[in-house]
Amino acid sequence: MEWIQNKLRKSFFIMSIIALFIIISLFMSLNMGVIRIAPMDVLKTIAGYGTEKQELVLFDFRLPRLIIALLIGAGLGVAGAILQGVAQNELADPGILGINAGAGFAVVLFIFFFQGSTASLGMLSIFVMPFFAFIGAFVAAFFIYILAWKKGVTPTRLILVGIGINAAFAAALIIFQLKMNPNDFMQAAIWLSGSIWGTNWKFVLATLPWVILLIPLTLYKARYLNVLNLGDSLATGLGADVERERRILLLIAVGLSGSCVAVGGGIAFLGLVAPHIARMLVGPKHQFLIPASALVGAFILIIADMIGRNLLAPSEIPVGIVVSVLGAPYFIYLLMRTN
Amino acid sequence: MVALSTEKLGIAYGEVDIVKGLDLNIPEGKITTIIGPNGCGKSTILKTMARILKPKTGVVYLDGKAIHTESTKEIAKKMAILPQTPEAPSGLTVFELVSYGRFPHQRGFGRLTKEDYQIVQWALKETGMIDFHDRPIEALSGGQRQRVWIAMALAQQTDLLLLDEPTTYLDLAHQLEVLKLLERLNQEQKCTIVMVIHDLNHAARFAHHMVALNSGTIIKEGSPTEVMTQEVLKKVFQIDAEIIEDPRTGKPVCMTYDLIETKETLQTAKAM
Repeated sequence: MEWIQNKLRKSFFIMSIIALFIIISLFMSLNMGVIRIAPMDVLKTIAGYGTEKQELVLFDFRLPRLIIALLIGAGLGVAGAILQGVAQNELADPGILGINAGAGFAVVLFIFFFQGSTASLGMLSIFVMPFFAFIGAFVAAFFIYILAWKKGVTPTRLILVGIGINAAFAAALIIFQLKMNPNDFMQAAIWLSGSIWGTNWKFVLATLPWVILLIPLTLYKARYLNVLNLGDSLATGLGADVERERRILLLIAVGLSGSCVAVGGGIAFLGLVAPHIARMLVGPKHQFLIPASALVGAFILIIADMIGRNLLAPSEIPVGIVVSVLGAPYFIYLLMRTN
Repeated sequence: MVALSTEKLGIAYGEVDIVKGLDLNIPEGKITTIIGPNGCGKSTILKTMARILKPKTGVVYLDGKAIHTESTKEIAKKMAILPQTPEAPSGLTVFELVSYGRFPHQRGFGRLTKEDYQIVQWALKETGMIDFHDRPIEALSGGQRQRVWIAMALAQQTDLLLLDEPTTYLDLAHQLEVLKLLERLNQEQKCTIVMVIHDLNHAARFAHHMVALNSGTIIKEGSPTEVMTQEVLKKVFQIDAEIIEDPRTGKPVCMTYDLIETKETLQTAKAM
């Protein structure tokens, strides 16, 4: 049995390395920014010996934001891994379930109808908007599943209907966006391109339960993902209730990515790229792939956030754009390789 | 032992009836081969017996219980199915794939128990794939791949194994290798094997029981000598076959054959 332990050990080793990278990048990100805090001072402040200003910057601004980046990255990575498994397609990502388009449309509707008139609503909208985004994500996913249903849902039909619904939402979104006043338009555009704008502890609390609950649940379902990945016939033959498991897993993916998109906006590519890199590192067995996707996703988003905050400081590049700029060439590379 | 049978089975794709009123009994502990022309419904019947397709009418019985009302997980402990040309996700290793065969016996997070390891190891040894355990599936040859899939089905530890054309895309030697492996498993593990197979001579050589189908109905079933006759093959395939006895195995062999020239075939031939 020793020969099997090798693979286990190798996977754990790779995951520990990524975890180490995450810790290093977290630390780097903490000391970088408009106000630089030297690494030693970061340590001091964490230990409780920092100045009041350092404590404010670290604990009230940077730390919650980094934790949110960590959660969103992990959540989107895992959601992508689930979808690629369920759809039996390595090019699937949360976008195909209409999560981004649905959430985006809901947010644009919200800004269009409620916010334009009452600018003073500002504080309230910060907390209502993610809620709207979340509902929008669920509504879009629900539509796609229902329309793809025909005595069951096949992966191919799911993807095709997903593309169609996505296009419809995106078109509707533009119609409303064009009728907005410039201020609202800007806000909507920033949201759509994916920016971690919820940067205080309340948002951490809003995202944390989803990620903390759903990632272990996904791990629990890992063996179902394994057999679903072999195709419907084999999965049925091995004793999986294919239709039911697919529905549960899709629901988990929508919950994960919906809650992430609600706080992080329409971050594209992460759900596609993170599971891909993870698969190259630990292979397609989901007991390894899921934790690895979470780690890779978190690492990418922390790095992207660090770049976004510092490259053109003091102005910020939305993290979604940074991920896309990094992700798009990789995506093209993938397409070229599969041919 | 697990008994598999169908009663008045009717199967349809949409509005088109493929199979009507099929009564089929699979003999326990034997190898049964199903033969028939393309589109006669042989794969469809196999898939319905394996609960992958739902019948329109009639019932499939496994162990005396109607299969489409039983828990799919419980069925998977008794019956394994290997579809035609299955595909594994790239990067998956031989060991990992074979361990997926333990699925119906697992609970919770799906950690492999000591027993699981032993069974997977046994399945790899039985199929001669133990030395390849850490290779990715895509790095194997066609014959090796098929042996890995059979190992996965073995790890499922069922008394019943259904295979849909297990020798497709394999060369002569590898076809025989796979079929001999199945024959050995039948003899040593006493498992019942049902397979759809295209090559008539292979079907006759390895079967205890043969079922010849055309248009979703049984034309003839019985021992190979009963089924491999000029008369049956004429009805099933519209061929004029020359059957002799294989000097090595004593089984019937189709030496050579011709198309039977009916009026229609003559007309199409002229038109060409």
